[in-house]
Amino acid sequence: MGSYWLPTSINGFLGDIKDASLLHFVLEGFLVAWLIWFIFRKSYKSHHRHSLSKEEEDKIISEWTPEPLVKSTPQDHPALKPHVVTGKAGHYIDVDGKPCLNLATHNYLSFVDKPQVEECAIQSIRKYGVGSCGPRGFYGTVDVHLELEEKLAKFMGMEEACVYAYGFSTVASAIPAYAKRNDIIFVDEQVNFAIQKGLDASRSRICYFKHNDVEDLEKLMLEFEAEAGKNPRKAKVTRRFLVIEGIYMNTGKICPLPALLELAHRFKCRTILDENVSFGTLGETGRGVTEFYNINRADVDLIVGSMEWALGSIGGFCVGSSFIVEHQRLSGLGYCFSASLPPLLTSAAMASLEEIEKNPELITVLHKQCQLVHDALANLSEFGYSMSGDIQSPVKHLYLTNPPQDAEKHRSLLHSISQYCIKNGVAIIPASYLDHMEARPRTPSLRITVNVDLTPAEVEAASKVLQQASSEFSLS
Amino acid sequence: MHVGGHGNANPNTTWLKSRGMWVSYILGMLILHLIILSVPLLSVAMAWTVTNLIHNLSHLIFLHSLKGAPWIPQDQGDCRSLTHWEQIDDGAQFTKTRKFLFAAPIVLFLLTCFYTKNDTSHFVVNLVSLVIVIVPKLPQLHEVRIFGINKY
Repeated sequence: MGSYWLPTSINGFLGDIKDASLLHFVLEGFLVAWLIWFIFRKSYKSHHRHSLSKEEEDKIISEWTPEPLVKSTPQDHPALKPHVVTGKAGHYIDVDGKPCLNLATHNYLSFVDKPQVEECAIQSIRKYGVGSCGPRGFYGTVDVHLELEEKLAKFMGMEEACVYAYGFSTVASAIPAYAKRNDIIFVDEQVNFAIQKGLDASRSRICYFKHNDVEDLEKLMLEFEAEAGKNPRKAKVTRRFLVIEGIYMNTGKICPLPALLELAHRFKCRTILDENVSFGTLGETGRGVTEFYNINRADVDLIVGSMEWALGSIGGFCVGSSFIVEHQRLSGLGYCFSASLPPLLTSAAMASLEEIEKNPELITVLHKQCQLVHDALANLSEFGYSMSGDIQSPVKHLYLTNPPQDAEKHRSLLHSISQYCIKNGVAIIPASYLDHMEARPRTPSLRITVNVDLTPAEVEAASKVLQQASSEFSLS
Repeated sequence: MHVGGHGNANPNTTWLKSRGMWVSYILGMLILHLIILSVPLLSVAMAWTVTNLIHNLSHLIFLHSLKGAPWIPQDQGDCRSLTHWEQIDDGAQFTKTRKFLFAAPIVLFLLTCFYTKNDTSHFVVNLVSLVIVIVPKLPQLHEVRIFGINKY
């Protein structure tokens, strides 16, 4: 064999080449030349894949109007006369040193000022200090976090839960952890702002269906199905999601969950259910909208809840199967990259949760109060208010029946009504929206929240104040 | 695995860049070739053709067929529709990494031609495999799916 790597003689080398046909010569010569050309080319960056089309560019340019760095503020701007709230925002709230009945903050079960909960938080400070000093994956996990996750999972009867440090970032992180570019998300048009931010971050295609309108959703899904039929290979890698809220913060209405889930099942959608209001308030024992409709919770892929409203703490959580929830521990951005929930708030949430488990009657009482407030507000229709919100919902919206045409006037009228109410001992505020960032225009409204400690007399008084406001501002 | 440290949302864009990778690549090819060469049944020419085919097949699979990344990249699925070749250097053309990976199959092909003494049947097989891995590397075919192959 001689030498394997090199020919033994020049003749041997030439022999190989001499045997080669002209075609070989030409091809190999061409390859070498091509390679050299390739190597000496200068590098360049190709155009970005997600560049805007001409129309999009024009649209953005035409929409842009330069703004002054600091706008001049009108002298009657509400921000110039802020209210000062002192003390706890419990059943009563001290606004400018005057106690008001609190119908403004979300404290459905009165856990914000419950002594047992406070005691737990204090104990926790003594043991752990005030902060957790790191994200969950980076020295920020304290035993109470694991305990709370276990408790939440057990309470909801799901495999696993993960706790976020902030209610807003929970759903805003959970959605983009699963839905990516090229996916499609069907979502109710009245979803809250946190969900909308999650949708933005997902980069998916968003399809809004009319509020609580199952038929409209079906129509959209059928349209998508028809589109998918034209390109089945693409459809095969397009994941579909359905994002809904248990009780809509923006309308106070309960979602028609059974019908929605049936559709999701039919069109193979993954479902994400945001229970920020409904957790701890709906259902016999406060387990949310799934309990309200008596639905098997495993039919919903991911349930997202808030611990900021009913539980009176801070933070949020996701519950679902381990397979689904575990994914967020590495791809939920709010989970990975925020410092974890302070142990004292974790303990407080745990104490509230235990309280709910121990006293499910609390929820029954809350339902009674919701009914009470519902009836009282429904009776205001002759005074120029119209109410939105289901009976069992602890969040109700009061709209004006004959609002001023001008949106700015509309808002300032609601603000004046709210000021009038506060002056008369009832804290009621308009729902505030970042109007220019909301997906759909929101009708300005007064948002009333129900508290478990309300008495019929208080509800009556609040209703009186609203009636007086009506005549004061001649609403009817 | 979750990635994204050091501000790099998708390591697939950079990990082939290092010179250490290139050395490992060349050493890997050499060891593969030596292993094949030590199989008694294979002639020298056959060993070279098999080496070339395995090399080109792995290019075809790992650089031009599989899309996305083996980890969870932080790009909200941007790379889901891209092959590894298209992700290299964030799609910049004629970069050093691309030149190296472009040169690899060509040099291997020339060597194979030499050691198979330009035998026609070997030549045809090797040429076809070369064309299959060179065509998708062309800058003109960046993010182009001919006949919709491997489009979604």
